[in-house]
Amino acid sequence: MILIGEDLNVMSKDLAQAIKNRNPDPVERCIRGQEMNGMDYLDLNVGPVKKDPVETMEWLVNLVQGITECPLCLDTTNPVAMEAGLKLCKKKPILNSASGSTEGKEKMMPLAAKYKCGLVLSVINDAGLPADADERAASIMESVAYANDLGIANEDIWVDPVLMPVGIDQRQIAAYMEFVRMLPDIVPGAKTTCGLSNLSYGVPKNLRGLLNRTFLVMIQRIGQTSAIVSGFDEELIRLVRGDLPDLVNLIHRAMDEDDVDLSGLSPKEVEYVKTTNVLMGRSLFSSSWLEV
Amino acid sequence: MSYEPPLEKYTVSIREVAWGPAAKLKKIGGENTLPFHYFEGALPNPAGLAMEILDVRPESWSPIVLEPFEDVVSDPVRWARKCIDVYGAEALCLRLVSTDPMGMNKSAGEAAEMAKKVADAAGVPLIVWGTEAEEKDAEVLVEVAKACSGGNLLLGPVVKGNYPDVSKAALEHGHAIVAQASMDANLTKELNIALCKSFPPDRIVVDPTSSALGYGFEYTYSIIERIKQFGLFDKDKMMLMPILADVAADCWRAKEAKESKEQGILWEAITGISFLLAGANLLVVRHPESYRLIREMIMEC
Repeated sequence: MILIGEDLNVMSKDLAQAIKNRNPDPVERCIRGQEMNGMDYLDLNVGPVKKDPVETMEWLVNLVQGITECPLCLDTTNPVAMEAGLKLCKKKPILNSASGSTEGKEKMMPLAAKYKCGLVLSVINDAGLPADADERAASIMESVAYANDLGIANEDIWVDPVLMPVGIDQRQIAAYMEFVRMLPDIVPGAKTTCGLSNLSYGVPKNLRGLLNRTFLVMIQRIGQTSAIVSGFDEELIRLVRGDLPDLVNLIHRAMDEDDVDLSGLSPKEVEYVKTTNVLMGRSLFSSSWLEV
Repeated sequence: MSYEPPLEKYTVSIREVAWGPAAKLKKIGGENTLPFHYFEGALPNPAGLAMEILDVRPESWSPIVLEPFEDVVSDPVRWARKCIDVYGAEALCLRLVSTDPMGMNKSAGEAAEMAKKVADAAGVPLIVWGTEAEEKDAEVLVEVAKACSGGNLLLGPVVKGNYPDVSKAALEHGHAIVAQASMDANLTKELNIALCKSFPPDRIVVDPTSSALGYGFEYTYSIIERIKQFGLFDKDKMMLMPILADVAADCWRAKEAKESKEQGILWEAITGISFLLAGANLLVVRHPESYRLIREMIMEC
């Protein structure tokens, strides 16, 4: 499992402020923490950078590359900022992200071809988010063919099936998993990634990690090769790095069996089983899923 | 070879909630099949229909829907009696509009006194509704619960932000409640789980909030439908509560409803009947004629 640390993100007020004021300290703390926890890539999410896109991205990429050797995943919707960053990367970066929309094809995919970097390619297209696994497949095959024509190999493509919040549409989770299973057949050689935290958007903060961790173990099992995750969730990292095999086995068992016997399990194990059940769509999700 | 009709078998039932004075006890819910699937299971209780009254003279009602009540709108007690005696209402919904903190902001005590008068004079099952101002509703509904102790009212809306106070008072004084979570089945479940820690599940009606034909109707329709299906198909105990669709205000806000009497009545009747098809067990309606149309439809099934 290739882990991409998500924490350098302008959604954080402190970091947004630090980037705006060119204050390196908060950025350095964020980068060092994630690196220490073993992130394989670091996502630099600067948002749309409406003001000084080139200068902002250059400052950030130079700063981060002065702190760490870790390769970067550049995350902006602004193609001008994206190109400024890609130019400076010393190690092969990932462009995050392009979709199959006209905008993605015309602005972002050509950059990935030009700089020979990785490309996160989502299943979204001009019609929006596909409704099920088959529609996702149709969308990604079309987008991958387009990328291939630009000279981007499947091996450089990181397919993002787009993970929706469990509280918004629980059925999307089954569609997501079905699509991950079919991906090796339809885009051989490509990797998979996703913004894992989106799964628990809207859920009380103290419960979000549990949902994210459980789901990452579930999709790791069915062939997901990468995810954009919190670089500070140590239990998540240990789970997918093989340090907690008993918990992983328990989650796998809960995927296979409808009614895992909860007696004799520790409170933490019970939580993982209940969370697996809700993610498998066996009962309607509510933020009180651990209480029933 | 004999023919077996392909019928669904459900192993659970929607909970039955009984509310109102003993002599006029109204039961809703109790069905073990989808709405109107008489060929498939038992639907022991026809849907409930409450006619809406306010505790003050309505400010913004269309003349079309004000007309049948013109002579009584200044007196909630007479208004209640007219609904029952003239228009045949089997249940009422009293909205305590006067307590609105952004409006007249009358005290909880005054409102409770009025609720008590109306409850005594009406003698039919009564919903008492706040103004959807969380904090004020908590005060008002608690006072109403006390003033009408033992009256077996249906109190609402009870929401995430005020449920502990209201449900406690309802339980102490023998009332049922309407648990409201806006347009989200997940939140409906969450609120029910929280409530059921201290409140009996068969005293809860859920209100996923509804909307009028042409104004987001399809969305609320599908949420009501899904709640019923989560209960009956998935046997989700927290999703087996009967459902309220309060269509009166939304329908009569619609521009189309205010254009003509005939159109307005049909707007409300069709919205209401459609929510019954989706799975609502209790409706609140405003115009006597749409009330009659919906009741005829229920009785014919």
